[in-house]
Amino acid sequence: MPWDWEEYQQTQEKIPSFIKKWQEKCKQWKKRIKLPLILLILLLLWLISGIYIVSPDEVGVVKRFGKMVRVTMPGPHYHLPYPIETVLKPKVTKVRRIEIGFRTVSVGPPAQYRSVPEESLMLTGDENIVSVEFIVQYRIKDPVAYLFNVKDIPETVKDAAEAAMREIVGKTPIDEILTVGKYRIQQETKELLQKILDRYNAGLKVVAVQLQDVHPPKAVMHAFKDVASAKEDMNKFINEAEAYRNDILPRAKGKAAQIINEAIAYKETKIRKAKGEMERFLSRLKAYKQAPKVIKEQIYLETMEKILAKTKEIVLPEKIEKIILPLGEKTLLKETKEK
Amino acid sequence: MRYFFLILLIIFAILIWQSVFIVDQTQQAFLLQLGKPIKKVFGPGLHFKLPFVQQVMRFEKRLLEYDAAPAEILTKDKKNLVVDNYSRWRIVDPLKFYKTVKTIQGAQARLDDIIYAQLRIELGIHSLTEVVSEKRSELMEKVTQRCNKLTAEYGIEVVDVRIKRADLPPENEKFVFERMRAEREREAKRYRSEGKEQAMKIRAAADRERAVILAKAYEEAERIKGEGDMEAIKIYAEAIRQDPEFYAFIKSLEVYQKVFDENTQLIITPQEPFMRFFFKTQKNN
Repeated sequence: MPWDWEEYQQTQEKIPSFIKKWQEKCKQWKKRIKLPLILLILLLLWLISGIYIVSPDEVGVVKRFGKMVRVTMPGPHYHLPYPIETVLKPKVTKVRRIEIGFRTVSVGPPAQYRSVPEESLMLTGDENIVSVEFIVQYRIKDPVAYLFNVKDIPETVKDAAEAAMREIVGKTPIDEILTVGKYRIQQETKELLQKILDRYNAGLKVVAVQLQDVHPPKAVMHAFKDVASAKEDMNKFINEAEAYRNDILPRAKGKAAQIINEAIAYKETKIRKAKGEMERFLSRLKAYKQAPKVIKEQIYLETMEKILAKTKEIVLPEKIEKIILPLGEKTLLKETKEK
Repeated sequence: MRYFFLILLIIFAILIWQSVFIVDQTQQAFLLQLGKPIKKVFGPGLHFKLPFVQQVMRFEKRLLEYDAAPAEILTKDKKNLVVDNYSRWRIVDPLKFYKTVKTIQGAQARLDDIIYAQLRIELGIHSLTEVVSEKRSELMEKVTQRCNKLTAEYGIEVVDVRIKRADLPPENEKFVFERMRAEREREAKRYRSEGKEQAMKIRAAADRERAVILAKAYEEAERIKGEGDMEAIKIYAEAIRQDPEFYAFIKSLEVYQKVFDENTQLIITPQEPFMRFFFKTQKNN
């Protein structure tokens, strides 16, 4: 191309020098180049201005005289220069985020948030009030719909999200919202929000609805906390009772074992003693049978010896009918037999 | 000559400028010919018109928002609700639209009247719980459809009317908070008393179990002792049977030995067997 050089020259011109040399240059150019040539160069530049590059996270949407004509994928492309065609490049992979019920004041760390009560306080299914703070993440599903169907997308998503969340929360009792129902609420809100946005044909996909902070309103917070501590108290009482049971039952079992062992010991002792005594008796009996009179006498005398060694005795004369003596408490009165 | 050419060029450019117009993808347009609308709606793209006598009127084709100010509405059960609704609408017939409301602001004022009136009617025949939870979506659907019928003459389609917020007015909120607090207090009380009750049951059961364990042990113990006693008696009987006489003799002596102590006074007569020698010796002397 013979024009490249000229082009280069033109673009390389520095402005101050350009102004200084303007007159001179003009004369030179006038001599050398004719008007059509200049026009041709301008035309060329104008045509080149139609080159555009679509980044990997974008798509290109080309409009010809305002009418959407084609969608282009990432990479370099060409469109007819302005004002015939123009290109819009929405970021289709970017996940956008909306905060409802709170605003991030500073990203931190530590992050700081500010509550927006008029957004977060809502009625529950059992006519209680609960504070729900959540975020919505969404991205572009259909770039053409996104660009041309709905005015003010963020506002639209926010309105729809609020309406959806309140509709779902409005069907759910407060206890469920505060405890086990969170996941379900997220899912249902997400589905409902998607349905609403599809109805508007907004070309958006709801990536997630995430509950951030769900709590009872400040005015009743204390009562709710007390319920939690009451539950703990309940468990404490029960645990204490269990501990009491675990303390006394083993002891009772021990005591029972002790009682039974004592009884066994008693039985054993009793039997052994009986056996022993009887052994002794039988051996004495054996001896006695060999010489009854003698042995009996001997045993008698032995015993008397022991008794008389201890006691005080009174010897009475032979023949006595009856006698009354002021004796001590333990008195054995033996009547004498007549011979 | 050259100037003339230039002027011609400029005139030509203006003519072209005046006889084409561009409508964006987000717009729809029609032409006014000397102030009178021509019944043809143009979509996006490049179109031609007569220069000077025709003027382009462009209107939004996109979905537009309309967010009403919150308003207090009375439900069927005579409860106040602060309803904040929003709506999404679009211009479907720009000609009608232009004839009636002219501008978006005008349309919004009209929408405000229509939607608010319809909401009032619809909410007035439902109770608060129906509005908040049970029939929320179908209610909104109904309002949307009715509004649609009414807005058709303005060239407007109402795509959606939604209750964004339905809250209680502040004075009613206080009552709700009171009730919530009372409910929670009741619940807390219930938990505590339930805990106490359970604890008492556990303790009582434990006490009972302990008593039963011990009683069983005593029963068993008595039985065992009885067995021991029986066994012993059998042993005694077995042995004694061989010579009761002799046993009685021995046992008696043992008893005497045990019973008599240093405080016992014995009165002994000479007939006492072991005394016989004693007296005999005396006589013999």
